[in-house]
Amino acid sequence: MRLAGAPDDQFYESLDVRLQQTPHFFSDAPLIIDLDQAADLVDPADLQWLVDNLRQRDLSVFGVQNATADQAEAARAVGLISLSGGRDAPLRGSRREEERKPDPAPEPEAAAPQAAPPPRTTTNKLVSTPVRSGQTVIADRGDLVIVGPVSSGAELIATGNIHIYGHMRGRAMAGINGDETARIFCQSLDAELLAIAGLYRTSENLGAELRRKSVQVYLEGERLRVDPLDRTQNRSGQ
Amino acid sequence: MSKVIVVTSGKGGVGKTTSAAAISAGLAQQGHKTVVIDFDVGLRNLDMIMGCERRVVFDFINVIQGDAKLKQALIKDRRLDTLSILPTSQTRDKDALTSEGVEKVLEELREEFDYIVCDSPAGIERGAQLAMYYADEAVVVTNPEVSSVRDSDRVLGLLNSKTKRAEESGADPIKSHLLLTRYDAKRIGEGEMMNVEDVLEILAIPLLGVIPESTAVLRASNVGLPVVLDDKSRAGKAYEEAVARLTGEQIEMRIESEERPGLFQRLFGRTA
Repeated sequence: MRLAGAPDDQFYESLDVRLQQTPHFFSDAPLIIDLDQAADLVDPADLQWLVDNLRQRDLSVFGVQNATADQAEAARAVGLISLSGGRDAPLRGSRREEERKPDPAPEPEAAAPQAAPPPRTTTNKLVSTPVRSGQTVIADRGDLVIVGPVSSGAELIATGNIHIYGHMRGRAMAGINGDETARIFCQSLDAELLAIAGLYRTSENLGAELRRKSVQVYLEGERLRVDPLDRTQNRSGQ
Repeated sequence: MSKVIVVTSGKGGVGKTTSAAAISAGLAQQGHKTVVIDFDVGLRNLDMIMGCERRVVFDFINVIQGDAKLKQALIKDRRLDTLSILPTSQTRDKDALTSEGVEKVLEELREEFDYIVCDSPAGIERGAQLAMYYADEAVVVTNPEVSSVRDSDRVLGLLNSKTKRAEESGADPIKSHLLLTRYDAKRIGEGEMMNVEDVLEILAIPLLGVIPESTAVLRASNVGLPVVLDDKSRAGKAYEEAVARLTGEQIEMRIESEERPGLFQRLFGRTA
């Protein structure tokens, strides 16, 4: 969780709103407070109050990061571990979150889950029959490969990449656990929706020139890019 | 070895009951002992299309609940002695169908008949699911328009997942066939409706037949005559050929078309 200054009532309000939207997502998830932009939060009492408030909301705070020396000491005083350095992904994630659903009361303190990375055991999934309307195929621990057509109204969900060798008319969501390096590869694009790590585009803004083309879909910063496969191949060859 | 064939579609009004009546009459005409069951509990239509509504005493639900014997409920067709009809109840609803009851009735029918045709209700709820659950083959009735095709696709998904053959390991999956009905070559030529190739590309199952939009179909329903027994009509002829394909005969697909020639050839190559 990234703070931008000492938390006030408004912070807790918007936090509660966020928690209500996804009641189980953050429940008991290990949480780190990022103090990079909250240098004024140095009083151990303030920190203790924040931790108490978060724990009341079933958020399991266990550490701080990007703390100044004073803050690190204050953290230790209230029983938190001070960690050095942060990863980039959650920052991008939080910014994107704001872009996607602009808050009525814009809050700088967007909460991004800083969950400990789960143990990586990948199990890929291969489906070689047509995926019909209304069916959902989930690869919850890796890549999903479909050999056959995917109908409109069908859903493909994977924590890793999604490959579709066939005409793709349905919805594909790759990197659903937040993996921003996940990609979607599609032999013949006619999809209703494409999403990577929660950032999506619908058929309305996919562009008619890409229809029925072989494409790959990936994240480039905040943009979901859909590139014809032949062009990207040329580019990567350079 | 008897076969249970479900006639289903998802969408209503595409011609399921008409097709179930025509297919069962066609099978009976070929000499197969055939029974057609109405699964549309509460909206009894099949007996009207078969022209036996005034002979219904006991029904499918009575048999399931043990109030009547199967023999009492079965109505023998007056035109074809190999054809029987098991009508449904008009006063009950789909909750009266039980999985065990349906299974028991089908097992009993399997002993006597070669083909058991199940006329599914529209939708994907209980009635439709029970109609398809014990099926060996499925005839998916589709009109050449997007919503019908999409619903058929959904039904194909259910056929591959929510049926006995799908749940039993080791069993062959249900064999699904596409029956394209209310095919209007003029409107397809004008681009108002989908052509056969588009539908086949989406549904990706073999084509059983293409039934042209025809006034003979409604006329036949009105007088309670399965359209396949109406020799003169194109629709009747098309059903007859579809039935022949269903029993494994190889018949070239003839689709009346305003499109370029060569289409027949390609279609045939695709479904053969």
